[in-house]
Amino acid sequence: MEGLLITARAVHFASVISLNGVLAFECLVAAPAFLAAGASEAATAALRRRLRFLAWLSLAFALVSGAAWLVAVAATISGEPLAAVLSQGTLRVVLIDTRFGEDWLLRLACAVVIAALLAARRESLQRVDPSIRWVGLILATLLLASLAWAGHGAATAGAAGNLHLAGDVLHLAAAGTWLGTLLPFALLLGEAHRGGEACWQTVARAATRRFSVVAIVSVVALLAGGMVNTWFLAGTVPALVGTEYGQLLLSKISLFVAMVVVASVNLLRLTPRLTGAAASQATGQLRRNALIEATLGYAVVAIVALLGILPPGLQTQPGWPFPFRFDFAALSIGAGIAVAILAALIFVCCVGAVAAAAGRYRITAGLAAGLALCSAAAWAPLRGAVKHAYPTSFYAPAQPYAAGSVVRGASIYAADCAACHGASGKGDGPAAAGLPIRPANLTEAQLFAHTPGELFWWVSHGRANAAMPGFADVLKPSRRWDVINFIRARAAGVQSGAVGSTLATEATAPVPDFAFEVCGTQTTLGQMLERGPLLLVLYEPPAPVARLEELAAGQPRLAAAGLRVVAVKLGDASDGDEAAPAVVVHVSRRVDKSLALFRAPGSNESELMLDRSGNVRLRWTASNLAPPDRLVAEAERVARAPLPHKAMPVTSTN
Amino acid sequence: MTRWIPPMIAFAASALVSVSALAHAFLDRAVPSVGATVAQAPAEVTLWFTEPLEPAFSGVAVTKAAGERVDTGTATIDPKDRQELHVPLKLLPSGDYKVSWHVVSVDTHPTQGTFTFDVGGK
Repeated sequence: MEGLLITARAVHFASVISLNGVLAFECLVAAPAFLAAGASEAATAALRRRLRFLAWLSLAFALVSGAAWLVAVAATISGEPLAAVLSQGTLRVVLIDTRFGEDWLLRLACAVVIAALLAARRESLQRVDPSIRWVGLILATLLLASLAWAGHGAATAGAAGNLHLAGDVLHLAAAGTWLGTLLPFALLLGEAHRGGEACWQTVARAATRRFSVVAIVSVVALLAGGMVNTWFLAGTVPALVGTEYGQLLLSKISLFVAMVVVASVNLLRLTPRLTGAAASQATGQLRRNALIEATLGYAVVAIVALLGILPPGLQTQPGWPFPFRFDFAALSIGAGIAVAILAALIFVCCVGAVAAAAGRYRITAGLAAGLALCSAAAWAPLRGAVKHAYPTSFYAPAQPYAAGSVVRGASIYAADCAACHGASGKGDGPAAAGLPIRPANLTEAQLFAHTPGELFWWVSHGRANAAMPGFADVLKPSRRWDVINFIRARAAGVQSGAVGSTLATEATAPVPDFAFEVCGTQTTLGQMLERGPLLLVLYEPPAPVARLEELAAGQPRLAAAGLRVVAVKLGDASDGDEAAPAVVVHVSRRVDKSLALFRAPGSNESELMLDRSGNVRLRWTASNLAPPDRLVAEAERVARAPLPHKAMPVTSTN
Repeated sequence: MTRWIPPMIAFAASALVSVSALAHAFLDRAVPSVGATVAQAPAEVTLWFTEPLEPAFSGVAVTKAAGERVDTGTATIDPKDRQELHVPLKLLPSGDYKVSWHVVSVDTHPTQGTFTFDVGGK
């Protein structure tokens, strides 16, 4: 089924682009060029016949492949075999009840009108009325651009979705105008190359000039849109180099760059020669290059057909192909500056490529030498940011960093890890003495210098130090992630012990997410934090009733300052809490165990102020609690404090 | 040539906003939450997805540990928000429940998954 879907998509994209291209070529290039060169009806008849044939062929392929695409989609989304889809009315449901179906009906109507217009033109022996040509082009562009509604852009909701959709529409239209017009352009140049009537040289020159403008506009639009698209769909460097989606995207970009290089040669070296003595030879070379560009372009279309059915890079685990990685946090320059430098380097490379295409080899060599020199000079400050890496370095945790996972991890840790790393995680377990090296202290801040993916590699495959074994054969991946979540939560708890009643400028690590009920409605810590900082009050019985009531009474004022208060009772949950103040929430035993990692030893109450990422920024204990005024002031400072980079998204395990 | 420059700039600028959404609908969050323990039996499960869904091909089954269906079999997509799916439940006794979802996003990609929650686990 996937094979049918990919083939149908590839053929459909290609044929609709080709149809759009022929009509765009007639309107924007051929007709004005004929007019400029004063070409007669008879001289251009053969070319116009060829273009019409190409249009009909493209339309026929578009209809057949569109039908195949519909059937393949119906089979994929209903999960039924092809025969059942065709016989049991699933097609009807897809056509009438889904957005894809609506889009397809609209596009079918479009195709029918285009067919009627093409047929009408065939009847007329006179020069075609320009308005009919333009209506045909507009409909063909609609047929192409409406593919956006069947694609990724359609799936974003709201105003942002409309913007995405508009962007996709323009991206498709630009692709159709450039790639689609290449084949008609090659046909025209072929006609000119064969000689025939004298006017053809003038036609070729005028057409090439107009085509260049069309191509440059389209390429600029494609390039800009494509770069932004890449960033949003593949998003990160690991996603780009480490997933099938990202790698396909890179090959698509390489093909596109190759097309642009060929186009630059055409524009900068061959076009000027069209007026000279070697005009005929240049026409032939231009034609050949246009065909090469078209071939590369349709290869890009095949990749697009495949990309559309793969989950984007940001939604899959990236396998990191290199034994090292750059840790930008270890660099003294900001990420913005790094991106700016990278953009400047890419720009220099582009200028160099254009210079090479134009035959300015001295400029190219100068730029290359300058680039090499800059890279060598940049290596010294960059070297400190190079870290050892593993294939799983950029894996996102497959279990959410939440109470349930942390508590599962705690019991696995007790069974499998505590013997060496110690019950408290300090590397002082009973079996530690017999090991060649001391087990790692898992409660230090150093733990957070490693990505969760690196911890996952070590838990799975051990370390090459003859002490740490791998657990890949013992624990399922999801259980290994549980252990990692527990270790990180415990280290976060230990590290938060160093946070006091003055704002911590460095974020430690976040409190694991947990679910709780307020007045019968369920919510989570993560959802509360989306709205601003939060004061998490942890207490053990007997409840500090006076303090809880003070906080409950102050809640309107605190909420006005953007601070929410959530109080959780730790320990035995059995005693009745009917009379608990309004800030106290109900949680399960698991949440209780997970939050106990953040309890201050030696005090029956601790109050943690969390920033929007869930990091502990301020901490008070029973002996030095802050009055509500102070809480308001601190909440405003926490809200303004810069956040560390966003935690990695949790990847679905499906 | 210069008369082409303004339309070129406009075209390039509009292409800059060409941002495709992600292709596959995944579970964003749910109430009861994934893996949560809730004190009171919920009347329905609500699931939020990362993309709008096709109602005709999206569904949810909530089952007890033994495999018995406890939803009323009428999962509906919120008319105001196509990313939100409501699944009315029968009256649930305490215990573990499994939510199995299979959805199709409006860009025709099917996805599926499961999670569990637990009622009255104190």
